[in-house]
Amino acid sequence: MTSIRRGRRTRLLAAASAALLLTAACTGGESDDGKDAAAGYDPAATVTLTWWTGQTSEAQKVAEGLAADYHAAHPNVTIKTSPGAPTTDDLLTKLSAGFAGGSYPDISYAFGNWAGDLAASGKTQDLTGFVADPSFAWTEMPAAARTVATSNGKVIGVPALVDNLALIYNKKLFDAAGLAYPTDDWTWEQFREAARKLTDPATGTYGTAYSVSGSEDTTWHLWPLLWQNGGKILEGTKPAFNSEAGVKALETLRVMAVDDKSMYLDQTDEKYGPLFNSGHVGMILSGPWALLDIKDAKLDYGVTALPGVNGDHQTVSGPDLWVLFDHEDANRAGASRDFIKWLTSAQIDAKWNLAVGNLPLRSSEESTPEFAAYVKEYPGGQKFFDNLANAKQARPTVAGYEVMSRNVGDGIAKVLQGAASPKEALDEAARKSADALEN
Amino acid sequence: MALTFAATPRTRSPETPRPRSSRGRAARRSLTGWGFAGPATLLVVGLSIFPAVWAFFISRTKWNGIAPATDVGWRNYQRIATDPDAIAAAQHTLVLTVLFVPASILLGILIAVALNQKIRLIGFYRTCIFVPYVASAAATGILASFVFNPQFGAANEALRRLGLPAQQFLESPGQALIVICLIALWGEVGFCAVIYLAALQDIPKELVEAATVDGAGKWRVFRHITLPELRPVTVFTAIWQTITAMQLFDLIYTTTRGGPMNSTQTVVYYIYELAFQTQRLGYGAAVAYLLFAVTMLLTVVVIWYNRRSGSGAF
Repeated sequence: MTSIRRGRRTRLLAAASAALLLTAACTGGESDDGKDAAAGYDPAATVTLTWWTGQTSEAQKVAEGLAADYHAAHPNVTIKTSPGAPTTDDLLTKLSAGFAGGSYPDISYAFGNWAGDLAASGKTQDLTGFVADPSFAWTEMPAAARTVATSNGKVIGVPALVDNLALIYNKKLFDAAGLAYPTDDWTWEQFREAARKLTDPATGTYGTAYSVSGSEDTTWHLWPLLWQNGGKILEGTKPAFNSEAGVKALETLRVMAVDDKSMYLDQTDEKYGPLFNSGHVGMILSGPWALLDIKDAKLDYGVTALPGVNGDHQTVSGPDLWVLFDHEDANRAGASRDFIKWLTSAQIDAKWNLAVGNLPLRSSEESTPEFAAYVKEYPGGQKFFDNLANAKQARPTVAGYEVMSRNVGDGIAKVLQGAASPKEALDEAARKSADALEN
Repeated sequence: MALTFAATPRTRSPETPRPRSSRGRAARRSLTGWGFAGPATLLVVGLSIFPAVWAFFISRTKWNGIAPATDVGWRNYQRIATDPDAIAAAQHTLVLTVLFVPASILLGILIAVALNQKIRLIGFYRTCIFVPYVASAAATGILASFVFNPQFGAANEALRRLGLPAQQFLESPGQALIVICLIALWGEVGFCAVIYLAALQDIPKELVEAATVDGAGKWRVFRHITLPELRPVTVFTAIWQTITAMQLFDLIYTTTRGGPMNSTQTVVYYIYELAFQTQRLGYGAAVAYLLFAVTMLLTVVVIWYNRRSGSGAF
């Protein structure tokens, strides 16, 4: 009996040590060797690229069409196109599983706030020199988007989508309340006043709405207010949003939610859009992605820049990226760069972003017929395009931003539901985030 | 309800004993054994044990799933004790378990007794009670969030008809956990009822008859015969429902996502949040291991207590 026992124990030990070895292999990463991934690239080499678009249904079909066009023009480059994950949110999980298993794509869609984490993987290409080439016309893309594509001074991707927050209002509700429409010069006091007058408990109408789910949607709506008040998100790697400016920014929202009760508090991120579309919310702070649903709801709406503080109307941009990965194969790296350069060129981007209802990536696209068609279909589109100039600062691309965003979101949710004061909530969020940001 | 399986008894073909060394025979027997157990063992090792071992090593690192992991020893475990969110999550789980387990057992017994009557259409009633258990918790959650919607939901409509004030339900930090518990009960009580129903039908008729002959009324029969007979099943359901309550996730994900103000963030949801929302896989794995330890400990204690007091559930 003892021998069997011992045998079992050794087997267990062997299994455990095998697991340990595998684990070490799985959690390890590679360090950057400083060599350009595409050095010695032969444009005529036959390569197959994997492209995760992060898109579903319609947009995915457009992407497949573009990949086919590219293959027709460059027969030596085959592009395997797939959404990569069921939803864009799941891409990060898929990528991390791909890194662990050693099978990740050449090009992947990524949310801008993942940039810091992805750059830390050591598996991204360094595109700094590539985009600096004048033929790329890097500066035609909005500054905020270029900042997000850059982590620790290295460009790891190319903007795939640009957007920004602006004020969208329901004209019918303003007319019914006898109020003048918002303008680009509005202050937050005027915004609050209008929200108060639009609110009518009898008809279930709110002046404005805000998400209190505690997600990034909750958090990033605060950043423009913070910046307008002269605050900063980070100071180096230390949280700085709990400054006087941050408290003042959050207080601006608190008075509407708690004192005036003119703000619909959405626990889910998903209800305030439809409520606005059904005429129950007068004004929302949202982006160009909202225009499609508003159009479908046949709502009479207007768009203006965000209300401002002392004439500062800056907004926040949430750009998404095409991140390029290094497979230690110069031909694949070079081919994926050429493809992305083609995809984000003014000519092709008009067939991609504008065709699927997004803002154009490059300022030079304003003169294209596709842009004219876009503005005709979405009357607010021009305003959002102009508002890109107000996106002066970007969300930080540091590892740990996700954790900080969650803590700030929880803090905002508490304040807007009357459970904490702005100062307390922001201080607590800063304290909880310090550890994640610094190591 | 009883099923009988009729099987033709197989006659064993007489095996001609071949001269073989006992060693070879043992090896063959062992191989045959592994031939049967092998595939399942591979599955269990590959899909359960290996990830569990791996998770333990992850729990001793700081890792976001992307950048290289750094070893931090036991720091993740030490941090749990001082993490206010983890403590709050543990409290929510405790409240949920304390509400859910006794309620599901009591309701289960009540419904089982009711379904044990000889009345018309009993099969139909039994099916009705069991259907919510078969429905996926995700579907239950989505349906429930319609019913409990503060603006347009049926629950507030019912309250209004009764002349009671409208409630915020899942959007109020004070009520959300209780509403979730109610939804979970609706979904899970069918399981308890079916288990108890089977146990009730297993109670020997002679015992009940003997007690009745001795002059015991219905209540006394229930109190002194039925309840003690249900004891082993109760131990089983208590453990089972405790594990269910502690691992409740899909319902919370589809209704509140841990909100409002994290008031429904249970330990399991917190682990999901840590590992897959904010990419703190190391810390998330540490919390998961702690939850595993607590569940294990609880189960061991209940089984030990039960063995000591001599009932035979396990």
